[in-house]
Amino acid sequence: MNNRILDHPVLGKLSDQTEIEFTFDGKTYKAYEGDTIASALLANGVRKLRVHEESKTPRGIYCNIGHCFECRVTVDEAAGVRACLTEVKAAMVIESGKAEPVPFDQSNPDDMPRTYAEFNEKAKGSKEDDSHV
Amino acid sequence: MDKVIICRCEEVTLEDIKNTAEKHHCSAREVKLRKRAGMGYCGGRTCRPALDTVLQEVTGEVPGDDMPLKVQPPVRPVTLSVLGGQKQS
Amino acid sequence: MYDVVIIGAGPAGLSAAIACREWDLHVIVIDEFPKPGGRLLGQLHQEPSGEWWNGIEETKNLLDKAKEYNTEIQCGTSVHNVEKTSNGFSVHTNKGMFYGENLLIASGAAETAAPIPGWTLPGVMSIGAAQVMTNVHRVRVGKKGIVAGVNVLSAAIARELQIAGVELHSMALPAANSVTKNESDPKKVMDGLVRIAHLAPSPFLRFGSKFAKAAWVRDIAVKFYPKGGVKMWGMPIHIRKAIVSINGTEQVESVTICNVTPDGEPVPGSEKTVEVDFVCIAGGLYPLAELASVIGCPFQYIEELGGHIPVHNEQMETPVNGMFVAGNITGIESAKVARAQGKLAGLSIVKHRIKDLADINDKVHEALNEVKETREKASIQFHPGINEGREKVNKAFNDYQQTT
Repeated sequence: MNNRILDHPVLGKLSDQTEIEFTFDGKTYKAYEGDTIASALLANGVRKLRVHEESKTPRGIYCNIGHCFECRVTVDEAAGVRACLTEVKAAMVIESGKAEPVPFDQSNPDDMPRTYAEFNEKAKGSKEDDSHV
Repeated sequence: MDKVIICRCEEVTLEDIKNTAEKHHCSAREVKLRKRAGMGYCGGRTCRPALDTVLQEVTGEVPGDDMPLKVQPPVRPVTLSVLGGQKQS
Repeated sequence: MYDVVIIGAGPAGLSAAIACREWDLHVIVIDEFPKPGGRLLGQLHQEPSGEWWNGIEETKNLLDKAKEYNTEIQCGTSVHNVEKTSNGFSVHTNKGMFYGENLLIASGAAETAAPIPGWTLPGVMSIGAAQVMTNVHRVRVGKKGIVAGVNVLSAAIARELQIAGVELHSMALPAANSVTKNESDPKKVMDGLVRIAHLAPSPFLRFGSKFAKAAWVRDIAVKFYPKGGVKMWGMPIHIRKAIVSINGTEQVESVTICNVTPDGEPVPGSEKTVEVDFVCIAGGLYPLAELASVIGCPFQYIEELGGHIPVHNEQMETPVNGMFVAGNITGIESAKVARAQGKLAGLSIVKHRIKDLADINDKVHEALNEVKETREKASIQFHPGINEGREKVNKAFNDYQQTT
């Protein structure tokens, strides 16, 4: 947690904090009680909280007050939890947001299947790890 | 420069929005339906003012007293269990 | 069934709750952030008088008062829908339903985006996000950053980051595109800068502020703007440099900046790379009025107040019977104004409920004057036309009452 502002010239010292432990993507981190998931991870230097479900581009906190939903993570198996609004608790298991399978190439709308038969035909050619098809 | 993403949730670029608005001469709502800009997880909270500004430039759609993109409940994504009346712990 | 459900535990919501509790109304305040205080929590600046405005202390004062009156405050509660019923309002949240005979929406403001290529990378955040991280969570947002967007809010928060020991390379404009056209126009930005010039110890800006109304002086100031920027508290503020792109693969590694002409056009060949690990996007604030919209409250578009405003009168009452608004949802102003508006809204609700009480009219009148005085005395004005904007909303309310 070396990104802490322990001593602030106006707000004073940060003292008497209770340390707790949690995991993010299987790795254990320390937090202060009262931290949000977002602040605890950033204090540990973790910026990337998820990838875009479709394009896989990396994302982190953006608004930090619950408006933008960019920081959504999976907490104790509940998905779509805003890291910036959720207080971290001891032994919390947090997972970053992962990419979802993209069953169809949408770059050419004319190639999209129009019937279930076409869909099946298309699905044959899709990747094996594509759990949606 | 127009490759810049405007709607972060759905990764819709300025170019996409401009082209769609020009081609179909359409409202913010129609752009939303065609390109999904403002239709993603955040409900358009992040890109709404940006969309209004682009559309004003392209189609001259001046923001009237009604919001250009209608706000629909739920204004936060909720799980079906919450909609069904269950409280989150 | 509560007498009043208040959405938003910022300065407006909390002071409204206190005012209602003083008159013994049954009140609950709900907010989705884990701590009460709203945007006030993160604020920290030195007033021209030298005194510190400390949002944490100001919040504590409000909370102490609220506690004294046994006010129910529930955080971690997100409202996703509000419905008008025959005898009041149903408020749908992730923690169940809340029912109130009256409703006060004090949901504050959201940040306006100034999109720059690369702004989805981790390490790019809104300026308000950096403020909360720094002052509320006490976490450094990075080793060295840059602020994209020069305005009242970003200058104040950049100063807060500096005080906390977070290094900023500079403040510069976002590159021009269809969305950022106002924030990327050096002349428009200069107009905004001279309004906060009294806060900064820079002779160049103070000189400019004296002539703020003369466009030719402004144009000269923009034309001869120092190459190294004008330093506010030692940090360069550039209005002739723009951030063209934010670069990195997994997170922010650098930004590309370039010189711009007095009209904001990029100067070809002037691009430079600046290594930073965070970027704050500062496009300003707009009233967050989605719940007022969902309930069917009529709106007015008022630029001076920051966008679409739920129609309301001076006493913060909307045309939706029993529904009130206060704080930044009614227009972007300081936390002090929001706090005064909250008290006024609270007393207006009391008046609405207890019509034949002689005392309350005077109290509402006093609170209204307090709002106006606070507005006049504000050291930071978000928009020069606040009063005109307020008059427009009030007129809209009266027009609305006459036509329905």
